[in-house]
Amino acid sequence: MSLVALRRSMGHWWQGDLAYRFRRSPVAILAALVGLALLVAAMGAPVLAPYDAFDPAAANAADARLPPGVEGMFGDVYLLGTDPQGRDMLSAMLYGLRTSLVVGLASVAAAALAGVLLGLIAGYFGGVLDAFIMRAADVQLSFPAILIALLIDGVARTAMPQELHAELAVPILIAAIAASFWVQYARTVRGLVLVERGRDYVLAAKVTGVSTPRILISHILPNVLGPVLVIATINLALAILTESTLSFLGVGLPSTQPSLGSLVRIGNEFVFSGDWWISALPGLLLVLLSLSVNVFGDWLRDALNPKLAS
Amino acid sequence: MSFVLGRFGQTVLVLLVAAFVSFALFRYVGDPVNNMVGQSASLADREAMRAALGLDDAFILQFARFVGHALTGDFGMSYRFGQPVATLIAERFPATLELALISMLIATGLGVPLGVWTALHRDHWAAQALMAASLIGVALPTFLIGIALILFFSVWLGWLPSFGRGQVVEIGGWTTGLLTTSGLRALVLPAVTLGVFQLALILRLARAEMLEVMRADFIRFARARGLKPRAIQYRHALRNTLVPVVTMIGLQFGNVFAFSIIVETVFQWPGLGLLVIQAIQFADVPLLAAYLVLIALCFAVINLAVDLAYLAIDPRVRSGGGVRRTA
Repeated sequence: MSLVALRRSMGHWWQGDLAYRFRRSPVAILAALVGLALLVAAMGAPVLAPYDAFDPAAANAADARLPPGVEGMFGDVYLLGTDPQGRDMLSAMLYGLRTSLVVGLASVAAAALAGVLLGLIAGYFGGVLDAFIMRAADVQLSFPAILIALLIDGVARTAMPQELHAELAVPILIAAIAASFWVQYARTVRGLVLVERGRDYVLAAKVTGVSTPRILISHILPNVLGPVLVIATINLALAILTESTLSFLGVGLPSTQPSLGSLVRIGNEFVFSGDWWISALPGLLLVLLSLSVNVFGDWLRDALNPKLAS
Repeated sequence: MSFVLGRFGQTVLVLLVAAFVSFALFRYVGDPVNNMVGQSASLADREAMRAALGLDDAFILQFARFVGHALTGDFGMSYRFGQPVATLIAERFPATLELALISMLIATGLGVPLGVWTALHRDHWAAQALMAASLIGVALPTFLIGIALILFFSVWLGWLPSFGRGQVVEIGGWTTGLLTTSGLRALVLPAVTLGVFQLALILRLARAEMLEVMRADFIRFARARGLKPRAIQYRHALRNTLVPVVTMIGLQFGNVFAFSIIVETVFQWPGLGLLVIQAIQFADVPLLAAYLVLIALCFAVINLAVDLAYLAIDPRVRSGGGVRRTA
């Protein structure tokens, strides 16, 4: 994909080109709407959820594993059934969605921050720093991201006492996922900076005595941010899937902090006895989330790169 | 030549880093002694154990010993199983390799022809349905595909087993499930689960490459020469499509190994992936350490092989500058 073309079209999106393409694509509109609805549902979980998913008192062991729509012992109605602890599935899923989204967004933000920073440094200063950062990136690129996240999280889990890890599970998971995704940002930004640093505006800034960090942050950075946003959108789906996969494997979030992946994990052992909803419903929600973000990201990439659009 | 040396150097460096992380993990995570003795062990017993394991020696000495042992394939005893790690890994390896190979076979066998077909018949409804399906295939998390397949084919229809490897036959230390009916039946769902993502990926790549090639000047020229469309598509275009696709498949093989961790967990498939997940959950450090080194070795070898293959195919690489890859 031509980064220059990408940058140019990103640079002019407010002039209506991108907005026009968006209006013309029903698939993209649908994906955006679904994604937005899920975001609202997730952030509104404390208000929208009929029960508090974190409150053990709200779970009723007598109502465990009820199928969707069945009334509980004490007249509670569980729209989407209950899980093995008698927790309302709908509430658990809303909170799970929130956790998944927060972890996904935070790890993409962290990866982008680290990647952009390293890319700026590598591209602008060159030399040994550049060689070192890019070699590391090359090496890491030869390993699958999910394996790196799994091993970082696994090593941290093994290295810490259990209570400490349970407390730090979310930041560790975010760091592990971010560490497995920074490379793409660094490589892209470096490539762009190599072009930008020779441009007149950078030379002009240098001549007028603008400090180097300021040149990097307020002069070069805005000009390389477009592609970063595209990568971030596409990465968000991947980050969400990585989190849910790790949580499903039992090495991500603990079951006290349900994400969609850990909810699927909880339900997994009951699939064999036919209690499908405990796994299937959070699974479906995850697919919906991942699909909408993926479809939107795919559309964005194509819209910014007319050569590929067919 | 310097390119080859550079690549070898990088490979060795990666392996050393992996060995170091693995050693640091092995040495400093938790207390190895605590993990091996029971609650009732006395302080003296623990001290004796420490000395026997060499945990009191100098850091460098311990690292050197670790690397020395690793070179001979000795990674110590698993805390959890009380067996040599190397034995455990050798036992589990055939299961993972069979699973990976069969799923890659499915993905390639279907993905390449379907991708080429969708590229040639872009406007056909089936091609568009395939593209939409492949997008879903890329977006679906592997563990959900596995659970859905289990729910349909094992729980509801009762057609196929949902866990384990079935009956296996041992041939010269290698266990295979490919020779028994129950082994083959047990392989179907895990292999399909592992293959879906790869299938979607290969299909999309084959389609994109084919479209790219069909736009090239030499295809236009072939058309101008009045060659039959079929000859252009299969003799000129397909050949040029296959090179990047085959490279991609080679690189994806490493990913299949990584994703087999997920599939093996879902299907309780007794392979390396299940072993490493349990190692993480039970803090079985020697096993995790050995896995780290092993996986680094696998990927280093795969990447080196791909680079060297490029060197043989594409003379431009020889004049310096690495191979640009996006995986």
